[in-house]
Amino acid sequence: MTTRLPTDIEARLAAAAPGGIEFSSEKNTFGVTIAWCGLAQAADLAGVAKLLVDVGARLSMISGLQPPAPPEAEEEEEEDEAEESDDAVKAEPEEKPAPTTFGGTALDGTTYEINYHFDVGGDTLTVVAYAPHEGSVPSLTPYFRPASWPEREIMEMYAVTFDGHPDPRRLFIDQSIDKAVLERLIPYSTLVNAASTKDLWDRVLAGKGGNS
Amino acid sequence: MTADPQLSKVSTIPVGPLHVALEEPMYFRIDVDGEDVTGVDINAGHVHRGVEYLTMKRTMTQNVVLTERICSLCSNSHPETFVMAAEVIAGITIPDRAAYLRVVAAEVKRVASHLFNVAILAHLTGYEMLFMHVMQVREVAQDLKETVFGNRMDLAAMCIGGVRYNLDAEMTAYMLGALDKLEPEVQSIIKTYKTNGSILRRTRGVGVIAKDEAIAVGCVGPVARAAGIDYDVRVVAPYAAYDKLRVPVPVMKDGDVWSRAMVRLYEVAHSIQILRECLKDMPGGAINLGERPDIPAGRAVAKCEAPRGELIYYLKTNGEEIPERVKWRVPSFMNWDALHFMFKGAKIADIAIIVNSIDPCVSCTER
Repeated sequence: MTTRLPTDIEARLAAAAPGGIEFSSEKNTFGVTIAWCGLAQAADLAGVAKLLVDVGARLSMISGLQPPAPPEAEEEEEEDEAEESDDAVKAEPEEKPAPTTFGGTALDGTTYEINYHFDVGGDTLTVVAYAPHEGSVPSLTPYFRPASWPEREIMEMYAVTFDGHPDPRRLFIDQSIDKAVLERLIPYSTLVNAASTKDLWDRVLAGKGGNS
Repeated sequence: MTADPQLSKVSTIPVGPLHVALEEPMYFRIDVDGEDVTGVDINAGHVHRGVEYLTMKRTMTQNVVLTERICSLCSNSHPETFVMAAEVIAGITIPDRAAYLRVVAAEVKRVASHLFNVAILAHLTGYEMLFMHVMQVREVAQDLKETVFGNRMDLAAMCIGGVRYNLDAEMTAYMLGALDKLEPEVQSIIKTYKTNGSILRRTRGVGVIAKDEAIAVGCVGPVARAAGIDYDVRVVAPYAAYDKLRVPVPVMKDGDVWSRAMVRLYEVAHSIQILRECLKDMPGGAINLGERPDIPAGRAVAKCEAPRGELIYYLKTNGEEIPERVKWRVPSFMNWDALHFMFKGAKIADIAIIVNSIDPCVSCTER
C-alpha cells in the first residue's frame, strides 16, 4: 500500500504521452511529493491512464475549470519589448500570437482545463489536459471506475464531453436544465423554482375578489 | 420451474429521496427479487446548492467561512483543507502551536462525528437504549466543542496562516477532564458493539465489500480501512502536527457493516489519545501570522483525513482576492459507488443499515 510515486515517473509519463508533457515536481516539508504533468494533447490521456493503472494510482478527484483569457496588461509588455528590440520593424508585420495553453489550445476564456488528481500512496500527481469549448477528451472511466461521477459532473457544468463514458447521464442537475450551468448565473429563485412575476401577484389579488 | 413474465418476482422499489431511515435526501431505485436486492441505481442531486459557483464569487477570507458551511459533521475539515491549499500557494509555514491546535480541532470533530454514526447504527437496528446512550456520551464531545470553540457544530477554528482560537491553562484542564470522562464510556461502547447479540446479528456479514472491490471503487476513510486498505492521510501524507504524533490506523478485513462501525469506534479511542498527546506537548508561541496574508497567483492541491476519509481541495488563484477556481471532493463522493457492491445479496431490511454504514454525507457530495 505504501508504494509512492516512482522516481522515474517523468520519463515514463513522457513515453506514455508522445504529444509532449510539461512536468514539475516538488517535495513538501513532510516528504510528500506533489507533481504536476500538463499534456500537450488530450488524446494522450488514455496512454497516461494505462501507465497510472500500472503504477497503482488511485483517481482521487477531477477538477474542471475555464481559465480566463490573460489580462490586457500583457500587450503593454510586448510593446515595450518591441520598442527596445532592434528587430522591432521586422517583427511588427507579424500578427500577435493569440495566447494558448500548453499544447496550443487557444486561451481565450472559453477553453477548459481538466485536472486529474491521482493519489499514489499519499503522493499527489495532477495530470492536466485542455479541451476547446464544445470539445471533448477521452473518458478515463474505462481505466478508473472513480472517474465516472466526476466526469458526469463536469459534463453538466461545462460544454465539454468525455468520449467513451459508459453512462453519460446527468449526475446532480435535472435533464430539463440547459447544459454548462457553471458558465452562467442562475438566480436562486429560478434554481429553487420559486420565480414569481407581477402577473402571478395580479392573479392572486384577482382571486381574492381584488381591488388593487 | 417455468419463467412466466406475468409472475416475475423481480420488481423495483424506491427508497428515498425522503425516507425515515435516511438522514438526508438520496434516491435509490432498488431492484428486488422477493426480499433480496438484485440491483441499485443511485439518483443524486436533491440538495445541490451551487456552493462551488459561490466560492468563485467570494474572497479567500470569506471562503474560509463559506467552506465551513458545506457540511455539518465534518465542517472543520473543509476550511482546514482550503487554508492548507492557500498556504501552499503563498508558501506559508504555520506556527508550531497553530499546527497542534489544528489537530485538536480536527480530532474533537472526529470523535463527535464517529459517535454520531455509530449511534445511528444502533437506532437502525432498533436498539433505542444504545442509541440514546451513545448520543449521551457524544454530548460530552458536544459540550467540549461548545465550551472551547463557542459552537456545537461549526468551530470557526481555521484561518489562512494558523488558527483563530487559543487554549489557556483553564481550558486545557477542562478538556483533559472531558477526555477522562469520555474514555471509559467509549471503551464500554466498544465492548457492547463487540459482544451484543442484537448488534452482531444485524451487522456481521452484512453489506460486505471485498478489498479488491474497495480499491476499484476508490473507497476512502473507515469504509476502506474496514475492507483491509491501510490508508490514512494523517499517516501517508502528514499535515499540521501529525508527523510528530502517534496515529494508530485500525484496519479490519471483513468489509462488513460491523467492521466499519468498529473502525470508527477504535478511531474515537485513538483520537482521545491523540488529543491528550497534543495537549501535553502543546508548544507555545503564536497561533497565526497576525495578519491576513496576500495569496499570489498559483495552483495547489491539499488533502486531509476528514472523519469520513480523504478530503481533497484544488485551488487556483490569479493574484486577486477572489480565487479563480475552488474545487473539492468529499470522502462520501467516492464511497457511494461502494453501495453497488455492498447491496449484492442484501435483504430489503438491511438497506438503511448498509447506507448508514458508509456514513454518507449528501450535502457534502452535492454541494
